[in-house]
Amino acid sequence: MAEERRFSSASGAPIALRRRQHSASCRELSVRAPRLQLRSLSAATSAVWLAAYGLFALSENSMVLSAAIFITLIGLIIYLHFVKIDQESLLVIGSLGIQVTSSYASGKESTTFIEMGQVKDVVINEAIHMQKVIYYLCILLQDPEDPQGVSEVVPLFQSSKPRLDCLIEVYKSCQEILEQRKTAPQSS
Amino acid sequence: KMVENSPAPLPERAIYGFALFLGSWFGFILYLIWAYIPETWLFSLGLTYWPQKYWAVALPVYLLVAVGMGYILLFGINMMSTAPLNSTDTITDNYAKKQQQKKFQEEAIPALRDIPISEVNRMFFLPEK
Repeated sequence: MAEERRFSSASGAPIALRRRQHSASCRELSVRAPRLQLRSLSAATSAVWLAAYGLFALSENSMVLSAAIFITLIGLIIYLHFVKIDQESLLVIGSLGIQVTSSYASGKESTTFIEMGQVKDVVINEAIHMQKVIYYLCILLQDPEDPQGVSEVVPLFQSSKPRLDCLIEVYKSCQEILEQRKTAPQSS
Repeated sequence: KMVENSPAPLPERAIYGFALFLGSWFGFILYLIWAYIPETWLFSLGLTYWPQKYWAVALPVYLLVAVGMGYILLFGINMMSTAPLNSTDTITDNYAKKQQQKKFQEEAIPALRDIPISEVNRMFFLPEK
């Protein structure tokens, strides 16, 4: 069972949230950012090549042009492989844990798994980030010594930065599964 | 005792203000003399050990550049002191961790305390049952 809804990110870009329920205690929430646009790619390439042509006109050194082509190609590959995140997803399995996956534009996927014993709660926190106050979803990790304490905060959806309406949907879905922890008897 | 701490005008304050006014005018005229009067005229008056005139231009320039850099520095220091998104300082701090729970009394205003973030989230974002 999958449903997809459109929202907008903190910077105004359109993002899509997809909710899939695999079973009663397993849910997957994915936030998809818009793919690399052809117009921004052409704009960046033209800017770099025009600047290189200007330098060539001043210095009469043709290495500048080859260097510009190299820089554009290498820069594009690095950007697609290390920077541009297309999809971030959150897989919550009630008795097992939470898995966070980031898929890059080049196809690379980076995954983190947090087992349920370490998860204290999933909350929407607000903090100052680069001259703005943003809402962001985060996983609070339990402090082993202190049952009320938080040892670590893991922020989620860092690159797509959804706004509060999208975060509330994700928060409600996560809380429905996390609440089952309290009612279900501890078996391990 | 209260009268001494008020910002109202007093005779002593008027005297301090006038002394500062005269002092700052004197300093300004002295600066203009140092900057504009040629060195040979100052030597003929017997004033041979004044600082180089270079400093009459250099010091104001230093001051203005420092003010401009101060803007940028303040901006940067503020950004550096802001807690990152993954730090527990955005959730709690030492005072909140050590706070004591006061007993709940009927018909009294509840005591002020730091409410844990999970409770705040439930109240805001989950529908009331």
